[in-house]
Amino acid sequence: MNWRRLNHALHRDIGFLCVGLTLIYALSGIAVNHLQDWNANYSIERVSLQIDPLPSGVVSSAQIPQVLRQLGETKISNKHFQPDPDNLWLYADKRMIRVHLPSGNVQAEKPQRRPFWYRLNFLHLNHAKKAWTWVADIYAAGLFLLALTGMLLLPKRRDLKRRALMLSMTGVVIPIFFLLLYY
Amino acid sequence: MLKSVIQLLVILLVCLAASTALAKDFGDGISLKKTTLVSELIDNGDAYVGQRVRVRGMIADVCESRGCWIYVAGDRPFEKIRVKVKDGEIVFPLEARGNEAVIEGTLEKFDLSREEVIERNRHLAEERGEEFDPTTVSGGEIFYQIRGLGAQIEGL
Repeated sequence: MNWRRLNHALHRDIGFLCVGLTLIYALSGIAVNHLQDWNANYSIERVSLQIDPLPSGVVSSAQIPQVLRQLGETKISNKHFQPDPDNLWLYADKRMIRVHLPSGNVQAEKPQRRPFWYRLNFLHLNHAKKAWTWVADIYAAGLFLLALTGMLLLPKRRDLKRRALMLSMTGVVIPIFFLLLYY
Repeated sequence: MLKSVIQLLVILLVCLAASTALAKDFGDGISLKKTTLVSELIDNGDAYVGQRVRVRGMIADVCESRGCWIYVAGDRPFEKIRVKVKDGEIVFPLEARGNEAVIEGTLEKFDLSREEVIERNRHLAEERGEEFDPTTVSGGEIFYQIRGLGAQIEGL
């Protein structure tokens, strides 16, 4: 087998091997880039409610069940925190309930993991650590080889060679341009 | 054969259920034995700056978008301490809110100008999708924060 054939075979097989991880990294990459606009990990259901106003100050543990009953909670938990005398945060069944005591305004939020995107980001951002780090490193090496073997897939036609060179140079110049612009 | 498979599945399910009831480790986990009260860090923070400390308390809030910070409730009313981790090193799940946790990290001190407080509060409001009024900030702020290195959260 000559080197061209070997290079072609390597490029093809590494490409096939990298398909799954490339899809994961590409999709998750877009999601992570836009985290400010869209929370890819959780969908948060927010509900506004109203209860009877309560006096500002330290809320005792004995008062918590009363507040929760007013909110129609069936599971009564004493978990609470007050960031200041006017506000009370309650925690019930994976939800966080923010109560503004003087007005009785309540904001309840229930986060729910987005099963598909959460798992994608879990892998992409290497939350798993351990052996997954090795898989991710091997994938990165695969991409490196894919780029190198890709560069050696030079077409025989002269006009296509020029085109390949122009496209490759564009891919190199784009990040350099943005480094000069923003860094 | 089928009986053995069912037995194995039952054992796996029991183990899974038991593991969720135990505390879950994040980052480097916990190595210090002595717990420092949040109130002590707030009152005498300067004495602990740069030192590795361990605190215990309920997680009052978690960063919604990246899970990169939490607030740990203090031992006195209206007090909490922020624990910030390097993005991606540790990711705190939103479900941790309301759960007890032990946190370990290095204490840092911040002396922010009014402009810096406005910038920080604007960022926090953006994260929560809330309106922010800069006129509510009257001046600068000195606060202590733990640079989180490890955590153990119960009930996850």
